[in-house]
Order: sequence, then C-alpha cells, then structure tokens
Amino acid sequence: MEKVTWKYGMAAVLTVWLVLVLAAWLHEPNAISLQERRPLAQFPEITAENLQNGRFMEDFESYTLDQFPARSLFRQIKALTHYYVLGQRDNNGIYLTQGQAAKLEYPLKEDAVFRARRLFEQIRQKHLQDSRVFVSVVPDKGYYLAEENGYLAMDYDRLFEIMSGMEGAVYVPLTDCLTGTDYYRTDTHWRQERLFAASERLCNSMNIPAPNQGEYRPTAATEPFYGVYYGQAALPMEPDVLYTLESDILEQCTVYNYETNTTLGIYDRSKLTGSDLYEVFLSGSVSLLRIDNPNAQTDRELILFRDSFGSAIAPLLVQGYRSITLVDIRYLSSAMLDRFIDFYGQDVLFLYSTIVLNNSETLR
Amino acid sequence: MLFSGIPFLYYFLPCVLILYFLIPKNLKNGFLLLSSLVFYAWGEPRYVILMVAAILLFYGFGLAIGASTKTWLRKLWLTGAVVTGCVMLGVFKYADFALDNWNRLTGMSVPLLRLALPIGISFYTFQCISYAVDVYRKDVRPQRNLIHFGTYVALFPQLIAGPIVRYVDVAAELNDRQMKWENVARGLGLFLLGLGKKVLLANPLGELTSVFRQTGEQSVLFYWLYAVAFMLHIYFDFAGYSEMAIGLGRIFGFRFPRNFDYPYISRSITEFWRRWHMTLGGWFRDYVYIPLGGNRVGKVKWLRNILAVWLLTGLWHGAAWNFVVWGLLFAACLLIEKWLPVQKLPDFVRHIYVLLIVCISFVIFNARDLSQAGQDIAGMFGGLGLPLISTPAVYYLRSYGILLLVGIVGATPLPYKLFHRCANRWPVLGWLLPVGALMLLLVSTAYLVDGSFNPFLYFRF
Repeated sequence: MEKVTWKYGMAAVLTVWLVLVLAAWLHEPNAISLQERRPLAQFPEITAENLQNGRFMEDFESYTLDQFPARSLFRQIKALTHYYVLGQRDNNGIYLTQGQAAKLEYPLKEDAVFRARRLFEQIRQKHLQDSRVFVSVVPDKGYYLAEENGYLAMDYDRLFEIMSGMEGAVYVPLTDCLTGTDYYRTDTHWRQERLFAASERLCNSMNIPAPNQGEYRPTAATEPFYGVYYGQAALPMEPDVLYTLESDILEQCTVYNYETNTTLGIYDRSKLTGSDLYEVFLSGSVSLLRIDNPNAQTDRELILFRDSFGSAIAPLLVQGYRSITLVDIRYLSSAMLDRFIDFYGQDVLFLYSTIVLNNSETLR
Repeated sequence: MLFSGIPFLYYFLPCVLILYFLIPKNLKNGFLLLSSLVFYAWGEPRYVILMVAAILLFYGFGLAIGASTKTWLRKLWLTGAVVTGCVMLGVFKYADFALDNWNRLTGMSVPLLRLALPIGISFYTFQCISYAVDVYRKDVRPQRNLIHFGTYVALFPQLIAGPIVRYVDVAAELNDRQMKWENVARGLGLFLLGLGKKVLLANPLGELTSVFRQTGEQSVLFYWLYAVAFMLHIYFDFAGYSEMAIGLGRIFGFRFPRNFDYPYISRSITEFWRRWHMTLGGWFRDYVYIPLGGNRVGKVKWLRNILAVWLLTGLWHGAAWNFVVWGLLFAACLLIEKWLPVQKLPDFVRHIYVLLIVCISFVIFNARDLSQAGQDIAGMFGGLGLPLISTPAVYYLRSYGILLLVGIVGATPLPYKLFHRCANRWPVLGWLLPVGALMLLLVSTAYLVDGSFNPFLYFRF
C-alpha cells in the first residue's frame, strides 16, 4: 500500500510542479501590479558585465518573483497561512482589527521626529518670519486601534510632545477630533467626509471660518476603493467606498499644478478609474499646487506644507482663504522653496502624518 | 542560488532534471558536473576557477597517491593535498582573522586581504581532503575519470551546504547508479519536506531573531524568546537544507548520509553531537581525532585531542572568536560528561541541561562578537537590569507562539512516530504524505513569491 501511495501520490505532486514550471516559463510578463501598486521587474538584460558582477542573477530572481503565474493567488495563500494557520498577528506588518487593516508603526524614531521638527524650524526661520505658523499632526489609524487591540504602537504622546515644541509655531492637536472609523478600512488615509471636526479645529485655531457641514454633499465613487493595505496585506477584505465632498464653493475653485502647468478642479476624476482612487483628491502626489477660491471673502492666503493626508482636508480649509499653496517637501527640496514660492506673510500650516514624521528621511 | 528560491525551483532544477533523464547514461556525470558549475557560477561567478582548480589538484593528488608505491612518497603527496586544502581555507577564510588578531596583538597594521568567502569552500575542501586521506589509507581506489571526480566534488545538491559526503559513500554510484521512479518519488518527498522546514519554519523564526535585534525595548523574556527562536531557526534552516540536499541526491540516484537525527532530544552533549551535523562530527572524528590517537592515549594527550577537535570545529563554522568559544564550550561539556556522573541524573534534568547549554551556545554562535555574546547571555539571566517582560516581547510571543510550538514539536520524532502509528492502523492515511508534500510545495512557493525573508545561514561556511 505504501509503495502504491508513493508511486501515484508523488507522480501527482510532480505533475502539479511541472504544470507550475511550464506556467512560469510561458507566463506573459505583466508591467505593473495593481494590487501592490508598483511596477514589476522585467527580464534583465544579459550582458557580460551583468553576468560577471552577479547583477543579472539578482535581477533574474526579482523577475521570477514578480512574474510568477497567479502571483496574487500565491500571495493570498501565504497571507492566509501566515495569519490564520500559523496565527501570526500581522502579515507584512499589516494587521486586521475591528474590521480595519492597519500597519504596525513601531517603534517611535525620536531622531526622525526631531529631524522633521528641525527642518520645519529652518523653513520658518528662513521664510516665515512674518507669518502666523501652525503645526499639526495627523495620527495614523494605529493611534486608535493598535494598543487597545494588543498591537505594537509607537509612543504617540512623545511624538506629539516633540512636535508641539516647534519653535515659533502654534500646535493644533487633532487626536480628539478623530476616531478609528474616520479612516478607510483598507487604506492608510482618512475619509474626507469625516473630517469636519478636524477641519473645524484647524480653522478655529487659525481664526478662519469653519466649513458648514450642511453645505457639503458626499458623493460616492462608482468604482470600489482597494486601499494600499489591501494589496500589502493580501488578506481577503471588502473594498471601501470612496466619497468626495461637493459644495458650491468647491465647484468654483481651481487647482493649478506647477509640475504640469495645468489647471483642474479640486477633484481629478480621471483618477477614479486608476489604481489609487485616493489620488482623486488634488491629483495625488504633486510637489506644488495652488488652490484658488474665486468666491473668497478675504485676501488671506495659506501655505500648507503637507503629505498625502493634506489632499483630503485642504478643500475644507479653502472657504477661509483666497488661495492655498500646497507644498510637499518629499518631492520638492525645502532649499529651493523661494524659487517657486513668494513668501509675504501668508498663514502657514505644517500638517504631517505620524507615519511621515516617524520616517522623516523622506522629507528634503 | 538557493534551493529555497524560485529560480532554482522553477527554472534551474526542472531544466536539469528533464535533460538529465533524457540524455544517455554515459553522459550523465558530465552533465551533472556542468550543471553544478553553472549552479555555483550563479552565486559566485569568479570562484568557479577556484573550484575547477580544486578539482584538478585533488584529482592529481589522488592519482599520485594511488600510483606511488613507496610510503614516504605517498605521505608526501598526502601532505601536499592536506596543505593545499588548508591553504585554500587559510587564504580565503582565515587570513583576515589571523591578520586582524596579529595587528591587534602587535600594534602593526598589516593590510587585510578582504577576500569574499567562496560559497561552500569549507564543505568541498573537506570532501577533497577526505578523498586524499581515503586514497592514502587505501580505503578507496583513486578515481581515474576526471569527470567522475569533478562530479563528486562539485555535485550541486551537496555543494554549498553539505552534508559532507565522503568519496567512499558515493564511489560506486558515480560509476553506476540506477534511475528508479521510487528514488525520484522518495527524493522529491524528502526535498519538499526540507523545503517546508526551511521556508515555513526557519525563515519566519529567523525574522523573529532579526526583529529582536531591531527592537529597542528589550526584556529578559525577549532575550529568551530570541534565544529559543534562534535555536529552532538554525536547526530547521540547516536540517531543512540538508534534507533538500539528500532528497535531490536521491532523485539523481545518490545516497547521501543523514546529517541530523533530532538533536534536541539528546540527553547529553556527547549524544547531541552524534545527532547534530553528523557528517561534520564524523569527519573530525575520522580525520582528526582518531589520527591524533583518540581516547587511546594518556589523559593529557586525550585532553589535547578533544581541545584540538573542538577548536577546529568552532573555527570551521567561522573565523571569529565567538566560534572558538562556541567550540570550546562543547569541549568543556564533553570533558565534564566524561569526568562527572552526568548519566546518573534523571532524564528530565539531562534534557534540560542539554537544551540550556545548546541554547546558550547558539546565542554565542549568532553574536556579532564576544562582547555581544556576553551581553545577550547577561540579558537572558537578568544581568542587564532589564524588566522581566516588555510590550514587544509579549506581542511577538503571541504572534510567534504557534510557530514556536510547531517548531518545538517538529524538532522531536513525535510527529513522525504518531503518523506512522496511525498509518499502520489505517493504511489509507498513507495518502496524507503526498498530499502533505503537495501542500508544502504550494505553500512554500507562496511564501517565496511573497518575497519573504529567505537568507541561508550556512552560506557563510
């Protein structure tokens, strides 16, 4: 019996393996992974130099991993085994709790946070002597979910304490204006339609009129929103529904993109059919933008130093300003700011997420 | 190229297997040699020359020893072979260690060679030396066919991480081996079992040891978690890789010796070393310890023999002082076991003693240097003034709890015995083996495709 089992059983195993081998050899390479939101490695160039220095071998390994047939399915098998069979608390640093996917943000890197604060202080000293300067921190969703569900969390209080010590700036706390459900379940970002309390806090601190919730109409995107954690975790999750807020003021606003010299509306609806629906807010990752509000009752202007969280909340600050200039110093060096922006006493808000502050090497 | 990598599993191995079974019998060794050189060149393009040189030199030494009739001449050729092997290891593995210590001792600044360690040099050099010694002792006849000898030295299944296969083990199979489906099936099963151990157990446990080093909030519990995780990691890493090698060998018609036999169930360090890296222990026993006189000498010489073997065992694993201390720790334990009535202790106590010593030894083994080893051991025993537990320690204990449990049970023969007892009673359960093998293939592939952490510890030897 045992011999028969081996004979036929292992023949079946060998067959499955050979089928996978053939599939790997014949698989048509994909250019990008929509789920992981990244370009996939392509077959490396064969040159004598690449072969000699081992580069070809390294790149070929990346190619075979990225282009493996049914890669998404295999990633899901791994995630399910890792998470549910072996009982690991997270997969690739992503965990599921209270219906939300969140990333382990641990530990606090104080050096990185101090670096970010020093960078902001240098910008203030160099350009913003005549400005009212505010600083605020967007807590990532781990602030609300991690500790109470037994996951590792950075020392958020210490991070807020460091940032509140920024010289010459008024610190605006936001943690009590948000909850864990104010974020997309499958994504790192916060939901625009849930930001009225946070934007009110900012507006009050900056002494501008707060948005009137009754004037805004949430509009659901027709495409499902698979956030960044959906792809990273590879665990089965229902997609989110992405909402944008519409209002008469926002409809009149224009957004000038300095990178492309183009003018669009607040929402770039072409992104609603792309891989990352969140890019609908101010066209996603752009180093320098300006929102113009033609119906402004004031001449006040705002410069918003921000990361991607700023894209969703900026439209809720626009009622208090004639224009808002959005600067992302991850993509535009702070040393070159005066080549693109005239500083003449505008209000300034540094609004960054805990994730970026804790990994501030991305700030330039 | 790692066995536990997509390029090997889905490109190299299938190509080699398909061609190997298609070509005529008389070309099989040549093809295996060529494949092995390609396999080696994939990871070390430059050092293929070194490997080819080793093959040619030791092939020549073997012929010269075999052809010499005078004892002094045979000894001369043997000395040449041993010196050549030692020089290869000395230059590529130990020169910088020696020069660095020389510079520290004398205050001089002799420049280091800074040569990259050729992959698997410790394994194939030992195989070459053992071949020369076996020919000298007339245990085997010298191999006259260069292709056959080259295949023995470079055979890719055991090239980079053993087991250390002696020529005598495979001499007959190099000349004539049977291609049987049963061998392929058994070999494939063993290969997949090893793959599962490496990818599903060793790699995640290795991740835990890396996380420990990156985490600032240490505690006594975290140090122990690290130590136990590393102890299991190194076992499944190396034993898994050895099983893959033995399985591959079997597919090609070779019978490689077993390398691990549940070492963590040992009740003495002596027994542990009969079960851990058995081919290395056997090599040192037969080519160093016994030639030095073994235990059939006076106490002083016997002590010298023990210390020499364990100093060399430590150094074989790496050119650093922590490996020397690691080897000497085992020497000390073996001496204690000879002199004190350790065997009279209850089994339970002896198990604990072995696990504790082995656990501490691997903490020393995995340390960057002796200072870190001391700090790690102090941390385990509360010597650093750390809290007993910390949040990360509890988190990772909960996260890796099942994996640690699977690892602990899997390091004993319990699952094997239990399965066979059940399969004897209900033969239909025998089908679980190929089903399990298939699951291991698919899940291991899934882990690899996800681009998980996949280093191999024994690469550096």
